[in-house]
This record gives sequence, C-alpha cells and structure tokens, in this order.
Amino acid sequence: MDKQEVNEIARIARLALSDEEIEEFSSDLEDILSYFSVMDEAPTRDDFMLNPVMIENVMRDDEQYQVIDPEILRQSMKVFEGYVRGPRLS
Amino acid sequence: MSDKLSFEFLTRLNEKYKIFSQLINEEEFLKAEGRYHFHFSAKDNLCTIDFQSRAGSRILDGYTPPFDATAVRRLRISGGLLIGKTNMDEFGFGTFCTNSAYGVPRNPFDPDRSCGGSSGGAAATVALLDGHIALAVSTGGSISCPASFCGVIGITPTYGRVSRYGLIDYSNSLDKIGLICRSATDLRTYLPLISGPDSLDPTSCSQPILDLSSSRIKRIGIPKEAMEGISGEVEAAFRKAIEITEEQLSIKVEEVSMSSLRFALPAYYVLATSEASTNLARYCGMRFGIVKDDVNAHFNTFFSEVRSKFFGKEAKRRILLGTYCRRIGFRDRYYLKALSVRQIVKEEYLRIFQDFDLVVMPTMPFIAPRFSDIQKMKPLDMYKADFLTVPPNLVGMPHISLPCGYYHGIPIGFQLVAPHWEERRLLHFAECWESVFEYQFPEVKL
Amino acid sequence: MKIGLEIHLQLPTTSKLFCSCSTSATEPNEAICPTCLGFPGSRPRLNRKALEMGLMIAKRLECRIPDVIWFSRKTYFYPDLPKNFQITQYESPIGVDGKFLFDGKTIRILRVHLEEDPGKIKRVGRVGEELSLIDYNRSGVPLVEIVTAPDLSTPKEARDFTSSLITELRYLIGISDKDEQTVRVDANISVAEERVEVKNILGLRNLERALEFEFVRQSKMLRAGKKIPRETRRYDEERKVTLPAREKEFEEDYGYILEPDLGVFNVGEIAELMAIPETPLMRVERLSREYGIGLSEAKKIVFTSYALADLFEDLYSKYPTSKALSWILDQLAANWSTLEKKMTEDMRNSILTTIGSILSGSISENEGRKMLVSIIKGEEFVGASQELNNQEVTKIICSILNGHPEIISDYKTNKRAANFVIGQVMKFFKGRYSSDEVAKLVINEIERRLSR
Repeated sequence: MDKQEVNEIARIARLALSDEEIEEFSSDLEDILSYFSVMDEAPTRDDFMLNPVMIENVMRDDEQYQVIDPEILRQSMKVFEGYVRGPRLS
Repeated sequence: MSDKLSFEFLTRLNEKYKIFSQLINEEEFLKAEGRYHFHFSAKDNLCTIDFQSRAGSRILDGYTPPFDATAVRRLRISGGLLIGKTNMDEFGFGTFCTNSAYGVPRNPFDPDRSCGGSSGGAAATVALLDGHIALAVSTGGSISCPASFCGVIGITPTYGRVSRYGLIDYSNSLDKIGLICRSATDLRTYLPLISGPDSLDPTSCSQPILDLSSSRIKRIGIPKEAMEGISGEVEAAFRKAIEITEEQLSIKVEEVSMSSLRFALPAYYVLATSEASTNLARYCGMRFGIVKDDVNAHFNTFFSEVRSKFFGKEAKRRILLGTYCRRIGFRDRYYLKALSVRQIVKEEYLRIFQDFDLVVMPTMPFIAPRFSDIQKMKPLDMYKADFLTVPPNLVGMPHISLPCGYYHGIPIGFQLVAPHWEERRLLHFAECWESVFEYQFPEVKL
Repeated sequence: MKIGLEIHLQLPTTSKLFCSCSTSATEPNEAICPTCLGFPGSRPRLNRKALEMGLMIAKRLECRIPDVIWFSRKTYFYPDLPKNFQITQYESPIGVDGKFLFDGKTIRILRVHLEEDPGKIKRVGRVGEELSLIDYNRSGVPLVEIVTAPDLSTPKEARDFTSSLITELRYLIGISDKDEQTVRVDANISVAEERVEVKNILGLRNLERALEFEFVRQSKMLRAGKKIPRETRRYDEERKVTLPAREKEFEEDYGYILEPDLGVFNVGEIAELMAIPETPLMRVERLSREYGIGLSEAKKIVFTSYALADLFEDLYSKYPTSKALSWILDQLAANWSTLEKKMTEDMRNSILTTIGSILSGSISENEGRKMLVSIIKGEEFVGASQELNNQEVTKIICSILNGHPEIISDYKTNKRAANFVIGQVMKFFKGRYSSDEVAKLVINEIERRLSR
C-alpha cells in the first residue's frame, strides 16, 4: 500500500498520522496485504453467516424504561443547557 | 484459599509483574476481607462499575462505566470479590501484551519474557495467585496464548455461551469471554456461573443449556497442517503429550488433513480489523474516556486529533487495515471473502468432528518469547504467531489450552477444540489430563 | 422530468429501535442510555414492534420480502452519530421491488429498509464557526426508508404521492398527524440527463417547492445551453432555493459491514403470518374493482370516511345501481363529518332502509330525500300521514280542482286523471308529504265532489 493510499485511509478513519507513521504503516500494510492474498485461492460463498453460530429472531418487546439515570450519562459528556457540546460543523 | 491473600502482597505482586491496570484499593479490600467466597479479576475490557475500564487504551482513560458486564455481575453475586482489572493489549490488539498503555506485564516464569496476549495480565495473575479466577476475553487466541505462556488453563467457550454485555468490543462476531484458572475443578465450578442466556446480549440467547456431564473421548485428530512451522521445543513437548494421551488415557490420536487452515489467519485478521475499525469509530473525544473541553475546531480535525493522540500504534495499524478491507472496491476481495472462509473452515471442522471427538494442536508455535526478541518482530510476524489459536476462534468453537510440558522451566501448552456447545468434552479431557500430568507453578519471590 | 424519492418516516413505537429509551422525550438528552449513546460495552436489541411495522409497510407496498434479513453498519463520522456508525440495512432490506398505485399511476418502490436515526444538532454561533449542540433523544429512534424509482413526473405529483403514501401508512401503522410536516425526503431530479440530488427536505410543502425550484433552475440552464452538473444540493427553507451542499472534504466511504450483535431475523415467516389491515387506497381499488364504480368516486367515498364506505358497501351489495352511488355521494358525503359524530346504529339502519326504499321504488325520491334530511338532522322521522296537515293539503287540492274542473269528469272514465293533481300537490309542498297520503286526500276530494 503506497503512502498516498495510507493517507487516504487515514482520512476516512479520522487519523492524523505523522510522516514517520505513514512510512511505517505503508510498509507494514504492504506486507500484511500481500500475505492476505492467499485468500484469493479460497472459493467465494454466498451462504455466509453473520456469526459463527446461528443467532436468529432475538427481539425485545416495545417497552419503554430506563435503568440508568440519564444524569449520570450526561456527566460523562460536556453539557450546556442540557445539550451535549460538540465541535464545529463548519 | 482466600485467607492467604493480603493487600500488601497484591500490591507488591503488581509492582513486580504489572499484571493489573487497576488494583482494588486498600479500603475496599479490607472491608471485603473474610466476606467473599473467592477472588477474581476481570480483563480491563470488561465493564465494571467500581473500576475504570480502559481496555488497555489511553483513549478510555477515566472511563468508569455506569454498569457491570454480565460476566462480572454474575461472579459478584456468586460471592466473588473483584480484586482488579488485568492488564491487556490495547483493545485486545496483540499477542504478547506489549501494547498496553498501562505497563507491560511480566511472565511469572521469567520476567524477561512475555506472558502472552492479549489477556496477559489475567494469565499471569492466575499463575501467581493460587485459587484465583480470571475473567478473560479471546477474539483470536487471547485466552489460549497467555494461558500457554503462563502455564495455566484457559478456556474459550463457544461464541455466544457467555454474555458479552459490558465487553468493550474488539470484534463482535469473534469476541468470547472465558476463564483462566489452575484446575479443571475450577472450570467445573465457575464456567456455569458465567454461562447462559442474557437478554442484554442477543447473541447469547440462541444457546443450548451448558451440559457438563461426563463425555467419553475416544479419538482426537491432529490437523497435519497445524504442525508446520512449530519450534523444536514445542513440537517435542507436544509429541510427548500425545504419547501420554494415547498410552495413559487410551485415546486414539490420528493425523487429519485440514486444507482450509491456511486461509484462516488472513480471514481472521480481515474480519477482526474490519469490525474493530467500526467499533473504534466511537472514540472521538466527545462522550466517554477522553472528553475534550475545547470544542472550537472543525469536527474532522477535532476527531482526528483526539484519535491520533490517544490511540496506540497497533490500534492505528488495525484501524487502517480494517478500514481498507471494508472499503468499497476492496470489500469483496477481503471482507466478504473472509466471511466465505469462515464458512469453509467451519465446515471442515464439522467434517473432522464426524470422526473425532476433539481436535488437538500446540497452542503457540514457540515458548514465551523474550521482550528483546519481540522488539525485532515485524507486525506480520506477530500476526502469524496466532496461526494455531485463530482457527477455532474464527469459527466460534470452544477450545481449551492446557499446560503440556516445560522447556527449561518455561511452560508449553496444547490446545483442544470441540464442536460448538460441547464444552463438556474439553472439561472431561482436562480432568483426565490432570490425572496423568502434573502442572508446575512459578515460585513467587517478591 | 423524472423524480425519484427517498422518504424517511419515523415509526410510531414507544421505545427506540435498539434500546428501551422513550421516543417521545421533551427535555434534551433525557431519553438516553448507554446503547443509544454508543457507550463501550453496550449492545443493541431489536424492537419487535418496529420490525413488524416495517414489514407491514413492505407488505402494503407489495414488496418482495426476503426469508432472512440482517442489519449492517454504515460508518461515517459526525457529531450527532454516537457510535460514528449507523445501524441500517444494506444487502438485505426488509422489502424490494414493490409498487404503489396512486391516482391510476404505478410508482415502483425499489426498497424499504429500517434504520436508526442519529441525534439532532442545534447549530449555534456565527455562520462559518458554528458550534454544535446535540440532543441525543432522537438517536436510535426507528426510521423506515422508502426508496422509489424515478417514476414521478412533476413536483405536484411528488408531493401528492408522498401525501397519499403517508395517509396510507397512517392507517396501516398509526403514524402521527405531524408526520406530513416532519417527513424527511431526499429527492433525485433530472430534467435532462444528469441527476441532481436534493438532500434533507423537511415536509411536503418544502418538497414541492424544492422540486419546483430545481425544475426552473435546470430548465433555465438547459435553455442557456449549459450542462447540468451531477451534484448534491440542499434546500434552504428560508430563502426557498436549493444550494450546492457544502462540498465535503472528500467522498465518504461508508465501508458497510454486517452488524454482528443482532443476529438474523426470519422475516419471511413473520410476514407470511401477518395480516395487513385494508388501507384507504387499497379500499379505493377494491371498491372500484368489486362494484364497478370509478376510481375517483371510490376515492371520494373512502377518503370521506371508512364508515361511509361501509355504508356504501352495505347498500351497494343489495342495490348495485349507479343511483345508489349518487345517493351516497350527493346526500351523505358532503356533511358526513358532522353526521358521523352523532351516528348511531339506529340512525344508520334508518338511512339504509330509506335509501333502500327509494331504490326499490316503494317511496319517491323526494320523500326519501326528506326522510334522509330529517334522519340526518336527528329528528324523529314520523310517517308523513301522521304529520299531514289535512286542512292545508285539502285547501291546495281544492284550488287545483277548482282551476281544472275537467279532472272530475275525466276521473269518471280514467282514475289516472287524479295523478295530475297529486303531482301538483307534491310539487307545491316540495315533497314534504308522502305521495300515498296525498293521493288518498286527492281521491277523497274528487270522490266527495263526484258524490255531490
């Protein structure tokens, strides 16, 4: 994977990498991905599963309740007049 | 057993071995003294209401969850005292427990060696503390590997057997909570306590009842592909263990072929990092752990800064890898292919289980490496070290690592795999094995 | 012009899609829990009701419903999205390849899927350096997304389509009245070749306006010989214009993966066992088909009221004539809403009997109409004879006979001569009295005169 590609992926993943990091990851990921290419030899199946065992039809009823006081949760965030403060949108 | 434990001993143990990322405080310890049935620890990625739960990461510094993980809660209500959160590779990303933001735990048999990862602190604690039960987590071998390096028992139950409610996710389709302990008796006691459906985790709700009644083991298979690339000392110990199994336990052990095994490791890393890169997206400085006060930046910059500063190097590497593997245009080749491989490997196991009761292989290809040797390894070399622990993890089949030999006093383990939900076969084998093989534990000098 | 819509509607559940928090909190950040805030260690758990509502919609829209569905993670970073991924459906929507018949036109439905809503952002501060204030009450609220093929051809049609669709779904799953104002739509519109997407349009009125604006804008560009760039725009409600959506730093790559925390759902079985109630448009179609009446008449009846449609069906199954239809439409539809409020079983029966009598010819239309009026007014409708004011009527009969003495002599040879008088009297009283009663009085008077 070349450095430009690492940069691109890093942007998608919201990681600001230093030049040294980009250099290093570029070579690591190259190694790793070329090793992964062994999978190309495996057949492709379309009967894949989401989980290693079958998990089906697990649902809950439409009931409203709260176990944890929302105030405790609000305390873990920065709150202004009940709203959570977030970064700028523009 | 609990009467031996003193707070001072625990503190000194931790100073020397860095096994805990957070230890119980003295006041709580004294308050609980004499009032608990057993002491246990929880890997740092299990949520606890009274300890920080940081999963070995700086980005979760300060995060004390408002709830207990179900497994933790179940042990507490059974009379367990939680004495600390065990050290681990950041989010479970590692094979040697060298990727923690909270120190590197030491192998109890040789402090210059790794105790394995990612549940390194858990395995080391069990090796050091008699009667201790450690809640550990495996995604691709994070229970088996440290158990074998530290000479203890590590059981990874079937995917979905133990509720993952309160587990800080690495890879949701692969993560499994299990136990590290010293004896089959402990397994028989504690595995049922943490198992069973939990409405808070849908993936735990499709399981049959945990049945630990006795089960006859007649034939065990060794995938011959698993024996390629094993170090001499491990191979010797393993062959000796197989001999004992055949001769003293009268179990037939035969070689089998498992050609899909070579696909398992890449498929595992693709699935694990793809899921991990989405799980880790939530850490962005706004809601838990590191929460930045100064929000005066564009959100992209804000998120990128926090994430770059507080994620460790391996976390970044796996985020990049996972983001790549699920990208449009690459998703078919990597992510979807890996799902196919999971299916293929599972079918191959099921085919083998038609003729065999268990599958066995060494747990790790080499004994616990020295930190100086780990430093020389490239990331891919480290990933490849998981090639024996990954296959059963990929397909969610229960497996156990048991000590099976010692090389100059350094423990070696072997790993047995059973079909889904057949934990009782593992337990039965562990009980038989204990009757013919004596486990050694390190001498603790503080 | 071709228009395709992506319509997002909130499903009227009590609790959220993946957790038990309320969907109707009023104070900011009140209905929140570890799951809808994405706290590490929390898990989603699917709300059965939301799945059933989604399936109901897919079924109503005649979609193909797969045997098995699952959810997916759509990863993108935004301050209102707690996990920085949204649990939605990608490869396996609950319904595909459906259709919606509306005003005689078939609009193809490409897919119907379920997803969680992000939180709500309030922008504060100066333009260009706005901070975000987030209310996570909305985070995790269940949404259904309905995607149409580009089968709509005018802004008005797009609005009417959306409006009918919402009305349908209101009957089907009980969505609230305010949804017409809060429905969120992404619209694709192409006047020429290139497709322009207008995102995040709130409400029906804005939908029509945004599309009209786009139509004019694109047409002008084409007339000026310009090429229309393929782009994403947004609608500015205040200025009533569409604007280019702020260019994103780069195109988001959602990197969809399967959501492993929920497992799979055998919706084929669930949907098969599910009976969907007949919605207004389904009924319109059925009335038109079954009774051979026009779509617009059927629509008028059904959209006036289900109770009126019931009445129509009861009547029409006995008297399948176009007259039955006009009685329903002319006499009852107009005031139905006030009528329905005071409707009792007895009243309904009286209405049915009266119209039935008219249609069978046992009473005159005028009489029938009178009777209906008084039934509707809630007056005890007493038989005409009892109410008949003999004196008043006889006075009129006499004056007619006085003006037409030939009737008496004609009557001797032909009794039908009386009919002229009866008709005149009925006309005079505008059908207030029953013709039988009037006839009796007319004949009495003629015979009285003859016997003199």
